[in-house]
Amino acid sequence: MKASIVMCTSWLLLSAGGARGQAPNDAQIASIVVTANQVDIDAGKLAEAKSHNAEVKAFAQRMITDHSAVIKAGSDLLAKLKVTPQDNPTSQSLKTDGDKSLAHLRSLEGAAFDKAYMDREVAYHTQVIGALDKTLIPSTTNPEFKALLVKARPTFVAHLEEAKRIQSSLGKKH
Amino acid sequence: MTRRAWQKLAAWAVVVISLAMLGVGFAARSRTPTSYTVTIDAARFQPPLSVVRVGDVITWVNKDLVPHTATSRTGGFDSGAIEPGKSWTYTATRTGDFPYLCVFHPTMTGLLRVK
Repeated sequence: MKASIVMCTSWLLLSAGGARGQAPNDAQIASIVVTANQVDIDAGKLAEAKSHNAEVKAFAQRMITDHSAVIKAGSDLLAKLKVTPQDNPTSQSLKTDGDKSLAHLRSLEGAAFDKAYMDREVAYHTQVIGALDKTLIPSTTNPEFKALLVKARPTFVAHLEEAKRIQSSLGKKH
Repeated sequence: MTRRAWQKLAAWAVVVISLAMLGVGFAARSRTPTSYTVTIDAARFQPPLSVVRVGDVITWVNKDLVPHTATSRTGGFDSGAIEPGKSWTYTATRTGDFPYLCVFHPTMTGLLRVK
């Protein structure tokens, strides 16, 4: 739960910026998207190494593979469009919060780790999908970049559904 | 007609009917297989239902950003990982309904119906 509260601040920053009429530009969105994917890859690498639960490990491997593939597709497109990701308060906050979340996960072991990781994945994917719908997709101006975000969204939804299923199955074992 | 004439006629009928049945069977076997494509995009199989006949060829083309599989829930076929930009082809060998899914993203489902 602590990890979820920490993560919320990054996305609140994004929606607060949007509410003040300061929608992020494509270069800033690029940085947010790459960072958001990278943060989940880092959490996946930790879970893959630390968890002893086969379902949790398989999910973690899927997060590493899929989010790496999304970063690659995004980076290829951004290079073609000559858009350089631009650091901004939201992407910086995502990175900082991601590091805090990792530190919290590192302090846990066994079933407590699995539960905290899956809770984090459910919360994180819910927030990412919310940010895509409310801010990132509507604010993106380049049609190809916007199409890429729209294309990636259903994969994140599939991740969320799978994360919820595993979270629920972990709950039943205790 | 004499009894012998009837017997002769019946024998010819058997020959003609057998040849006709053989012809139908041959036509069915020699039917040119049809090719079908299922596109995988935005975490969906499109079309979600494919109706084919034994011998037809189905190709799953992954146009998505991430790897997927087409894996029968009831056995029969499993593509393994289909990387983005790659495809996997299967020839239908037996009749039946084959519900399938992506094992990486189990919310993605489809149905292959082989007639």
